[in-house]
Amino acid sequence: MSVKIISDVEFGEELPVFNPDTSLENTSAFAKAVGWGGPRFEDHEGARKEGFPGALVPGIMGMGFLVSAIHQWAPEGQIQHIDTVFRAPMLADTPAIINAVVTDIDEEEAFIELDMTIKNERDETRVFGTAKVKIPTS
Amino acid sequence: MVDIEELRKQHLETQFDQKEFVLSADNLIVAARASGETREEFLDPENEKFQATPAFLCSLASGSTLPIDFPSLGGIPMDGGKAVEIKAPVQPDIKLTGKTRLHEIYDKKGRSGRMIFIVVRMDLYNDKEELLATTDSRLVIREKPDS
Repeated sequence: MSVKIISDVEFGEELPVFNPDTSLENTSAFAKAVGWGGPRFEDHEGARKEGFPGALVPGIMGMGFLVSAIHQWAPEGQIQHIDTVFRAPMLADTPAIINAVVTDIDEEEAFIELDMTIKNERDETRVFGTAKVKIPTS
Repeated sequence: MVDIEELRKQHLETQFDQKEFVLSADNLIVAARASGETREEFLDPENEKFQATPAFLCSLASGSTLPIDFPSLGGIPMDGGKAVEIKAPVQPDIKLTGKTRLHEIYDKKGRSGRMIFIVVRMDLYNDKEELLATTDSRLVIREKPDS
């Protein structure tokens, strides 16, 4: 379910689950587009040679996934601020699950705040963050 | 052990780096699509609101290092996180200038030693000196006891 105006938003509401594409093909395309090419992002074996358990999803791609989840839920929302903490690496070709919940609604200023996480299938948090989003009033 | 208060006095809010960027629409689209973005303002260069995603803006700060006179703390800085505040759309094919400073330095002590957190802040301007976005890169350094 998506929201159009701020009165559609409910405190404590959970955003629809967003399953990002963490395939190596996709994450390495992102890495190259932002100028972060290299074995650690493009090749599992190359990443292992650098001491990682496999090719990494770029940290900021986690932010990109969170932004896309917000935009999918609030197609008219404008993200004013987003803050992400990289708690542990995300690995390419490993499923990731995004969850987000509304933690504040300011109807006067037309802002909402979200708490968000990216977890792996073992329910381990890889990235967490917050976002402040402006939502239309009408 | 490095004196955090002294570091703060010496380094906070003093610009130490400046870089210029011109973003490519093709790269903005690839990064947006790979992130799962569905909105036209991030995918269609013909859209009048076409702009970079917040995550792409954070990538511009990746090369930011510490001031040349910043002391070695012994450990390798790790990327602890990124934040961005959007003031106005950031579009491709225009000259952008990023001005970088240290915004915050603090520490946390644990059983395994001290971790030092450094927030490197970059303000991104267009060629009219209008502030478009501010990014924060959070560096985490595990201090070596003898540094």
